[in-house]
Amino acid sequence: MEISKFFKSNLIFNSLLLISFSISVNNFNSFPNINIIFYIFFHLSLIYFLFYHYNYSIYFIFLTYGILLDIFLLNEIGTHLLTYIILILTYILTKKNLFQLSSNQISLTIFFTLLFVLLFELLISYYLDIFQPNLSIVIKFIIISAIIFIPSIFLFNRIDR
Amino acid sequence: MAPKFQVKALTTIKILKNISLISIIIFSFLLIFFTKSDYFIINSIKNISTGVINPITKIISSPFYAISNINIEFKKYQNLKFENKILQEEIIRLKKWQTLAIQNSRENKVLKKLLNATDNNLKLIKTASLINRNDTIYSRLININAGHNENIRENMSAINERGLVGKIIETTSNQSRILLLTDPNFSISIKTVSDDVFSLVSGAGDNRHLVSTFMKENKMPRLGDIVVTSGTAQVFPVDLLIGKINKIDKDRFYILPFVDFNNIDYVQIVTSE
Repeated sequence: MEISKFFKSNLIFNSLLLISFSISVNNFNSFPNINIIFYIFFHLSLIYFLFYHYNYSIYFIFLTYGILLDIFLLNEIGTHLLTYIILILTYILTKKNLFQLSSNQISLTIFFTLLFVLLFELLISYYLDIFQPNLSIVIKFIIISAIIFIPSIFLFNRIDR
Repeated sequence: MAPKFQVKALTTIKILKNISLISIIIFSFLLIFFTKSDYFIINSIKNISTGVINPITKIISSPFYAISNINIEFKKYQNLKFENKILQEEIIRLKKWQTLAIQNSRENKVLKKLLNATDNNLKLIKTASLINRNDTIYSRLININAGHNENIRENMSAINERGLVGKIIETTSNQSRILLLTDPNFSISIKTVSDDVFSLVSGAGDNRHLVSTFMKENKMPRLGDIVVTSGTAQVFPVDLLIGKINKIDKDRFYILPFVDFNNIDYVQIVTSE
């Protein structure tokens, strides 16, 4: 029963990742910000997945999505892949400390990790000379992250329950 | 016996986990290292993702496409009456121009014969339709349904009825990727039609304008000048329409492209003959 539950929530999370990835790499003329919203949601799902469903397969999920996002959004492999590797390594190194935090503290950590990941991606793409970030994108990222964070966490909790 | 076996099994899993993590990190760094060069693995990964994953993402996001299209159609329907009025006026105006154009065309033919002039014709490779767009915050890319099976090669120019759209940056057997003119990584040599001011321009980053990055002899063009490809870099054919100069700053100028990049349905892949 427990194993089937675990697989069920894993399947739902993977479907969420696939759907949000697909929408974030496509552009819809009449909804100009929808791909940015799903791009942030994809990152949030990925971080939540790492924090609460950490297992052996997560390395391959991060590797695959890192490569695909780089190819689809930037046409050059580097930015997302590098960020995801750093994210996994940081998680492994700080895992023991994270276990001691309360659920609210972990939620807050997820939020700040999300912001850090998004800004770090912009920074790497700037240093790899792929993209010139500007303040409006940074503000957009912060505002959208703040708006979608609580509903998304609520959704993830429902899935986990 | 049982606890000892458990400890052994646990350490094996831990070792396997560590090995896979290290190998993934090494693989990732190798990919990042080789991405700028034309290594076989990088190109294969790019081809697979464009050819296989792209259609999957399109299928998954098809409900959003449908909603987006319904929204566009609804807006069009709302504007129908107004557009009809404008079109009626336009028909009357165009009929007058048509008569003039036929006269000019005849005159042109006669003059060409007299001058024995040759045209700088473009060679049309293929007319292709848009599959989907990857133009997000990071880059401006679109995918079309024609690839190297239709003789499309990298660096060929993509145009539509309004002018230059972009250039081919990647081809698979049945698909190609076009880097749009408004991408900040797109650089092109241009000249003005009126007084041949040469300069280099690239995407301004606002998804609308092009901005000058270099001006030959520091000559500044005039506001409203029409800009075409200069053909000097031998990447793009000469005299392809680009846009109009709509803003001039101290040391740079901005071009508004003629092409409406939000409404591209078909593109023609051309090369100079």
